[in-house]
Amino acid sequence: MRSALKRFFSTLSPAAWMIAGLALASSAGMALIRVPPERGIQFWTFSEEHMAYYRKAVAEWNHLHPGKTVQVTLVSGNSLQQRMMSAFFSGTPLADVLEVERTMIGPAFSGPVDKVGFDDLTPRLRTAGLIGGINPPSFGPWTSRGHIFGIPHDVHPVLLAYRSDLVEAAGIDVSKIETWDDYFRALAPLMTDATGARRYLVNGWYTDPYTCEILLLESGGALFDRSERPTLNTPFNARFIAKLATWYVGPHRVAHSMDYFTASGHQFLVQGQLLAVMVPDWYVGMKLKSEIPTLAGKMKLMPLPAWEPGGRRTSAWGGSMLGIARSSKLQEADWDFAQFLYLSRENAENLFRNDGIVSPIRANWSDPVYEKPDPYFCGQRVGRIFISQATHVPWRTSSPYNDEALTAFDGCLIRVAEYAEGAGQYDPAALVPKAEQMLDAAQQEIVNEIGRNVFLSK
Amino acid sequence: MKSVRPHPSWAPWFFLSPFLLLFATFFAWPLLRAGALSLEQTFGPGVGVFIGLRNFTFILRDPLFWTALRNTVWYALGSLVVQMPVALALALMLNRPGLRGRGFLRLVFFSPCLIGLVFTAILFALIFDKQTGLINYSLHAIFHRWDPDFPWLDEHVMPSLILAALWLYAGFNMIYFLAALQNVPQEQAEAAAIDGAGAWGRFWHVTLPSIRPVAAFVVLLSVAGSVQLFELPYIIYLRSFGSGPDNRALTIVTYLYNTGFVTGDLGYASAIGWVLALLLVAVVVLHRWLSRGEEL
Repeated sequence: MRSALKRFFSTLSPAAWMIAGLALASSAGMALIRVPPERGIQFWTFSEEHMAYYRKAVAEWNHLHPGKTVQVTLVSGNSLQQRMMSAFFSGTPLADVLEVERTMIGPAFSGPVDKVGFDDLTPRLRTAGLIGGINPPSFGPWTSRGHIFGIPHDVHPVLLAYRSDLVEAAGIDVSKIETWDDYFRALAPLMTDATGARRYLVNGWYTDPYTCEILLLESGGALFDRSERPTLNTPFNARFIAKLATWYVGPHRVAHSMDYFTASGHQFLVQGQLLAVMVPDWYVGMKLKSEIPTLAGKMKLMPLPAWEPGGRRTSAWGGSMLGIARSSKLQEADWDFAQFLYLSRENAENLFRNDGIVSPIRANWSDPVYEKPDPYFCGQRVGRIFISQATHVPWRTSSPYNDEALTAFDGCLIRVAEYAEGAGQYDPAALVPKAEQMLDAAQQEIVNEIGRNVFLSK
Repeated sequence: MKSVRPHPSWAPWFFLSPFLLLFATFFAWPLLRAGALSLEQTFGPGVGVFIGLRNFTFILRDPLFWTALRNTVWYALGSLVVQMPVALALALMLNRPGLRGRGFLRLVFFSPCLIGLVFTAILFALIFDKQTGLINYSLHAIFHRWDPDFPWLDEHVMPSLILAALWLYAGFNMIYFLAALQNVPQEQAEAAAIDGAGAWGRFWHVTLPSIRPVAAFVVLLSVAGSVQLFELPYIIYLRSFGSGPDNRALTIVTYLYNTGFVTGDLGYASAIGWVLALLLVAVVVLHRWLSRGEEL
């Protein structure tokens, strides 16, 4: 018996036995772990910042509605998108209610409209009278082929946050600034600091598609029309690219890249190398104030300077929605919860108080919470300033090809900026033909890509 | 009751069955399924429309595919040109007789490839950062004229990826070269030295021909690995799903992944996969042809 055991154990090395033992033990451990059963409505969100406030809201909901309780789970953005798309494609398990960000939703709209994994909320929104009550541009990213698939969470107007301590010390009155040309002219004396080091007047870089999109939307340009047809190669967009390229290269360069989400990026603002940054409400509420507290009392907000006199003075960046999975068996309860979370006045107040985000519901805009002076911005009424621009926020489409179009558009900007640098040509008018040539190719690329999609052409 | 005795002719099939089962499940069936899928446009695996060869004809005029192919080829060539000489130089250094700390140095050079691609990508995203990144910070400290905002990851995408891969794989390839160098016949090198050959002459006429089969194998491995580049650009440029500015980091596998698993067009992704497989076969055939007559 002993020798048989010895023979058996000698069939593998001690290390192999150890690996086999560990594999068995870990498998047994996994089998013994008890996963708590999912009860009630499952709600997934991607945002850690939203989560802090949702925990309280969900606790309150569960207290008020013991028959339809909610379990909220934080899932990282990429994972949420992967799990959502897997569920839509293959029916893998999914939450009943999902909060998703604008950049996650595109693929969900690339198939047949009746196969979109979210419930079409258009009839519910219409019945509840919400379509007229919500700021119209907020529906844009969640509307595909005329159907609204989510309740908008926000408006996300973009303003310019500038170093008021430096600008006002130089005697510059920003209230007289209307256009970007005015802005660059007025702040030109600040482009060199006391030590002779270079300063820049606004953030952005030609390889950054996000700032490119913010400025494109503000200018009145667009990647798609309302019918989701690509409109990359318009003369307007060509002039926009030619002009924007000169912000980044040449003797009149005014912009510097700033990573919005890293300490090294924030240092440009802190050290005064960068005098202003384009900020949506969520960035002010969830990032700027908490991650750069040293700038409290040194910053102020102003509307973005316009591209032309009388032009739009804001843009949009980001955006979330609350969608109900088509696969959910609790759709009525989901809808009640979604209304509670996104549409109640109390939660709109909390949304601004916790995350600095302005509610998309216009009736809420008279709430006193938006009138509160903010010491970080030298006592400015931040909520009111964002709301003053909310109705001017540009419309954004939900095309599943938005990311491709933006990358292609930004690629044109990159190549025009590189061409300008290489040829030493910094006159925007002279760069227009190059921009047109690049945009024609980009347009063709996106048209071909969309044309290949048999589901969209149906 | 009459017992059923297995016929002796079943025996080979019985012993082959584990392999055949695994081969059929994980190779033959997916291959056939990918072939069928490549003739469809899909929205995930559940919704598909037969479109014949349109996926393949679209590949021919798809600028994104050609961009991805061009980037992949650049990366493969760049990796070869930079990695192979560095790996060989490290191996030659470690092969010098009387070198002290050989084992430690071997571990140091080899250790990066124990780390894994995802971690390497995160590490290099920090190293190449503007201002605070190790490379810009160090270069600016040494050469004051160096711009601390040098945009490695914005405008020098392929050089940055090739440098990251160099750090990761040079030590791995070095091990192959070291093993080959240790098998170079010393008597030939000594004979060449007696005949008056210098160090360069001995390397060129004795060492290099001796390690040629191994070098050819390392080149093949490196090219095959480069064609499958995915994790490094995907993690570094996570926000753009690995495509980077102006799609300058987009590789064939990243494009395949995004097409199949982000947008759900498994049909077009399968077609890209088939083209990738054909490319790899072409590389292997070319390699076999170039290295004909040589054996490891």
